[in-house]
Amino acid sequence: MTLTAHDSSQLEALRQDPALHESTYVHAVYDNIADHFSQTRYKPWPIIAAFLASLAPGSVGLDSGCGNGKYLPLDQEGKIMLLGMDRSIGLLAHAQRAGGKGREVVRGDAMRVCWRPEAFDFAISIATIHHLSTPERRQQAIEALLRSVSSTHGRVLIYVWATEQDELSKRTVPDDPERAGKKVQDVFVPWQKTAVKGKGKEGESGKQEVHQRYYHMFEKGELRGLVEQAGKSLGLQVLEGAEGAAMPGLQIVQEGWERSNWYVELLRHAPHR
Amino acid sequence: MVKLITHNLLCCHARGCNYPENFPLVFRDVTQLEVREADYNAEFLQKMMPRLEWKALVDTAKQLGDTSLPEELPEGEAMDEEFLKKLHHVLMEIHIEEGAMHCPKCDHKYPILQGIPNMLLAEHEIGR
Ligand SMILES: [Zn+2]
Repeated sequence: MTLTAHDSSQLEALRQDPALHESTYVHAVYDNIADHFSQTRYKPWPIIAAFLASLAPGSVGLDSGCGNGKYLPLDQEGKIMLLGMDRSIGLLAHAQRAGGKGREVVRGDAMRVCWRPEAFDFAISIATIHHLSTPERRQQAIEALLRSVSSTHGRVLIYVWATEQDELSKRTVPDDPERAGKKVQDVFVPWQKTAVKGKGKEGESGKQEVHQRYYHMFEKGELRGLVEQAGKSLGLQVLEGAEGAAMPGLQIVQEGWERSNWYVELLRHAPHR
Repeated sequence: MVKLITHNLLCCHARGCNYPENFPLVFRDVTQLEVREADYNAEFLQKMMPRLEWKALVDTAKQLGDTSLPEELPEGEAMDEEFLKKLHHVLMEIHIEEGAMHCPKCDHKYPILQGIPNMLLAEHEIGR
């Protein structure tokens, strides 16, 4: 599958009204494809499953951009709780009964904090922030995650799509004609939906519908850069290790690339004496 | 399915509304409340309890007609199985399916439809 770069008029539209761009090419599309999308989501990523398995019993967490809720059942059989939030009501209808059980879900905006400050022990943001169309909005979403978790022990895990895709992803990111050796970052990713004709005769083939979703593909180092900006704007000292924070700290626990995604795991902690 | 555990986390985020004046949201026009059995997990309850806003939980449960919780969060011996079962019921088994939550400060209405609260705000209602 080849992703399509935005042409100049699409880029201009994005810059003029990023919220409208997301409304048209993200929210409306997910509402439209929710049922089909939910049939095709495969198993959880190993690093995310390991993160959820490592949380202390009693932890309450936010899945910001939970989609159809595929991570909500990974709750250590009720020893922890995940609360799902998404913008798409169509996806939330699926998330509400993910794994065959009632799940707590809220319709909300990944850039906003509609919780008590530091209400959660942890937060995950999987394949969500890449749907926001400007650097400011992506940074704001990371700030919202950081503000939603405890300042003394809050853990955050973020995954976004990478410009660096492996063979397994079947996605090709076009080269950027303006920047030698770089890929384009603002793209449309087609979603093929087979619409089955109502009351169609047996054997009649459904017609193909293609929906274009907006993605911002992340380059190496970009996610970390945004995290550092977000931490700074919240007055947090960004650290590689746990030691030496004179002010409230944000530790980068791990970061890397997994199966065509960039990820980063963060830990907030109180200043050391 | 707004459970009281979720309600205990939610706040109004409209312009000019800050914690703690924007908390807790007040249930109004609740036309559908369901009690559904949920799996009991004592370890989860014991360990998450310190994160709760206890008064908000007790008051909200009362408004919905459940007076089983003590005014003060029990400690030590008083945190027995009998208490945990009551807490489990209030936190995890009472579901608001249809109704609304209002901000105690600005009265903004967050509707609940088919168990999903809508926390989205219009651009002009947002503070930042
Ligand atoms: Zn308010």
